[in-house]
Amino acid sequence: MKDLVHIFEFEDLLQEAANPLVKKGRDEGLKALGYTCYFMPEVLLDLPGCFSVRLRAPRSTSPEMATYYMTNRTCMYGRCLLERALEGGYNFLDAQMATETCTVTCRFQEHLQLMDVIHNPDFFCEFTDVPFKKNSNSITHYEQQLKVHVLDKLHEKFGIDTSDEALIKAIEQHNEVCRLIQEIGSYRKLKNPTITGWEFSIIMLTTLTCPKHLIIDKLRDIAEQLKTREPDVKKNYRVKVLLTGSEEDDPDFIKLIEECGALVVADRHCYGSLPGREEIVVKEGETPLRAIARHYLETSMCPRFMEQHIMRERKQYLADLAKEYDVDGIIISQMKFCEYWSYERTIDTLIIPRDFGIPVCSIEKEYVNNAVGQLRTRFQAFVESIELKNLRKEGA
Amino acid sequence: MKLSEIKDTYRKLFVVEKSPEEKNKPKDLKKDLKDFWYGKPHEERNLGKLYVDGTGLYKHREWRGVKDTMYYFNMIWLYNYAHMVTDIMKYGGEGPKSLVDFAKGTFRYRWMGQTYLSVMHWFDRGLEGMRGDALAASAWHYRGMVSETIRQFMCMFASDKKLHGGKTPERWNKNIAHNETVSGNIFYPFRKELEDVALEMIPYFVSVHVNNHTVLNYIDAAQSIGLPADPCPMCQAEYGLFVLDDYPDYAPTMVTSNEACDGSVATSVLQDWFLNRPLYAMPQPMRYDDPLVQEHCQKEIEGCWKFIEEQYGVKFDWDEYVKWAKSFNKLTEFEWEKWDVAANTKYYPINGVAQALYRIYYSQDGDRPIWHEMDEHVKRIMNKTVKNKIETFPKTRHRAIAWSCAPLYYSNWCTWAYNCWGINCVINMDSLMFDQYLRTDTYEHALEDLSCFNEKAPMRAMAVGGHEHILSLFDYMERFNCDMVIMYDQLQCKGMQGIHGVFEDEFRKRNIHAIWVPHALPDKRTVSRKEIRRIINDYMTTVMRETPLDPSLLDFDDDQSW
Repeated sequence: MKDLVHIFEFEDLLQEAANPLVKKGRDEGLKALGYTCYFMPEVLLDLPGCFSVRLRAPRSTSPEMATYYMTNRTCMYGRCLLERALEGGYNFLDAQMATETCTVTCRFQEHLQLMDVIHNPDFFCEFTDVPFKKNSNSITHYEQQLKVHVLDKLHEKFGIDTSDEALIKAIEQHNEVCRLIQEIGSYRKLKNPTITGWEFSIIMLTTLTCPKHLIIDKLRDIAEQLKTREPDVKKNYRVKVLLTGSEEDDPDFIKLIEECGALVVADRHCYGSLPGREEIVVKEGETPLRAIARHYLETSMCPRFMEQHIMRERKQYLADLAKEYDVDGIIISQMKFCEYWSYERTIDTLIIPRDFGIPVCSIEKEYVNNAVGQLRTRFQAFVESIELKNLRKEGA
Repeated sequence: MKLSEIKDTYRKLFVVEKSPEEKNKPKDLKKDLKDFWYGKPHEERNLGKLYVDGTGLYKHREWRGVKDTMYYFNMIWLYNYAHMVTDIMKYGGEGPKSLVDFAKGTFRYRWMGQTYLSVMHWFDRGLEGMRGDALAASAWHYRGMVSETIRQFMCMFASDKKLHGGKTPERWNKNIAHNETVSGNIFYPFRKELEDVALEMIPYFVSVHVNNHTVLNYIDAAQSIGLPADPCPMCQAEYGLFVLDDYPDYAPTMVTSNEACDGSVATSVLQDWFLNRPLYAMPQPMRYDDPLVQEHCQKEIEGCWKFIEEQYGVKFDWDEYVKWAKSFNKLTEFEWEKWDVAANTKYYPINGVAQALYRIYYSQDGDRPIWHEMDEHVKRIMNKTVKNKIETFPKTRHRAIAWSCAPLYYSNWCTWAYNCWGINCVINMDSLMFDQYLRTDTYEHALEDLSCFNEKAPMRAMAVGGHEHILSLFDYMERFNCDMVIMYDQLQCKGMQGIHGVFEDEFRKRNIHAIWVPHALPDKRTVSRKEIRRIINDYMTTVMRETPLDPSLLDFDDDQSW
């Protein structure tokens, strides 16, 4: 396939948290607001006057200082974030909009509060309480939390306009990005997809880490090019897979899977678009904030949700995605030491093949992708096992 | 077997060898008589020599002097063994017939079969070296826990479909099962008609303390189906009960909670797949200091009550709630009294392990008559020690506070630490949770207090909702006049591991003696009891430059012990 427009530029942007577009955004006088979790609605952080940056620690190696503070028995994502903060990599942040949604990222953010890590005199870190259920009580609670701990704080500290009109404007901009990402992502559903998983992950991550107004034209260009992009004459993958699991912000990991012959056509993980890039709909009679709170709780597929029917819906959601994207198998990837996903991965690995007949490859990995050899072997074996199954089916 | 071998075995199992110095010591009849009557002085007890090598079992029990030995034999051994039979009949609901359910349960469930007869050894471990009022008061706490444990498992067994050929016993429909981390207080409004019994409290939590081998099987089972080894082993063990189908089926519904951590949430999810019955998830907010979260929490509690009403066809009974909550407040009042004595005097008669286990047990379980009965006994003893200024732990060299969650397989480490080094563990983190009244004047106040109460559950109270909670250690240290911290280092607790370095910094900055005690909650294989002792020994000799009170306790192997 022909190279995708802007893809190498986007790839370069992902090499640093403080990338040139983030710097440009700040030069324009916008406030840079960090966050780590889907439960901190990025749309609120993209209000006029500020922009959201979902924190990553690209090109991390061994997080020695953070390991002193958090030991080597915690998730490496959290540790790499702290290491990067200690190295000064997040000094561009004006605020961290925190959530206590998983233990280690919570501790990371508490370290930002406790220690003088971010060299910005106005920096503050504010926590929002996020519910564990999707009922109306939870939506009301979440809405109230977002108002007090996000909107009011932004207004009070930075004078950000948090009126309904401003929120509507932010939703519109957000929805446009979502529409573009959905459109770009829809080419993954083709029988012979015209976008690779690696390319899509780069685009998706760029939308999470750069000021949106500085990339939206480029997204439009990409969407335009994809309308006419032709797939390679010879199919260059052996099977199509869905990648699900915990935090995943490394396009090279997707590349690794694809090098083994498995094209990643669906991304249901913490930094993925399924869910994540659904448009926010403000229902009649609903305030924009209520709509945002409802949207983020309803769309999230986080294993943190405890209700019985929600637990079951999560499995069904995976199966539905597998059907929609016509995948041959599912790769379930869990960040080592992530408690939520160690359990979710275990149960998915049992339930998905048993109840839905979809082959599963279940792996545990580190944030820094240093076990490439073992992982490659696992993925190659998975691809071969699917091919064998398909051959057997054809034979029968 | 040859006679010499029999003799050797006999010596190994029953004879406490004397050192050459002891053998060569001239006879002092007066001292011998004094030791017989009062028991040996602390430094001469040589408690470590009482163990059979490699087992931690006793060659013979410790002679504590006439009075205390008689007290131990009559009021602890005989009294508890007798009650372990009568309680079965009392709580089984069918008199002597209940023994049949008990026997079935003992054979059916590993956690039951492997723990019941080792209960008295659990007493022995926790009460080793104790004398006088400390012995008596601590033992009453143990007695309370045993009785309540019997009540709970007999309720399970009498209602258990698995023990009744798959048929539904009458009591099955009258029980509510819940996570052990859901407070019993939630169910007060329904206690006239329903019985609330925590699902994992006995099969997992209590059984680890009594016999630390039992739980390993469940942890292995959880990992055998693909769960990694690094999540909290408590959650793994709770889950393993389901993998091995070793949980009683005694209730039609389940109430789950997000207490204390991410692992608990995930365990609830997995358990649900196995239980496959109506379930109410009752999460508590994480940022619990925020006044805005309270309404949400209150609504979840009300949601739980509504769920119970709908599932069981019973009505919320306000008077019943008031009755139990008021009664529970009396337990809290006495707890505060105990804290006051522990913090400000040398006369506190409860040892570290009894304090920790009893407090976590009763406050999580909620109000029960047995707790009041036990508190009456303890109050009498404590009033006496305070009034007469009796130093209950006279060999105290250091007053320690234990922080974070404890090694369940070695909760009696504090008994050992006092006997060996004079480290008196005055208070521990989980004793300090639930630190509040439950108001009963209006429904609104009651709900308000109940939600706050549940947000401050064991482990969670200090571990979540902001770093200031876990760092409150230093305030409590001051309040309880402690000069040393025993810092539990639960290797698989992400919350505690995630703030490890900050504690290191603070200890250095404040010049505090802190001994990090690594462990894996119920899993003794990660850090053994012996290893824990070695770590404390090393600190005491190399950093504190102290000599042990009882050197025989420095090094012994109790790996095979219950």
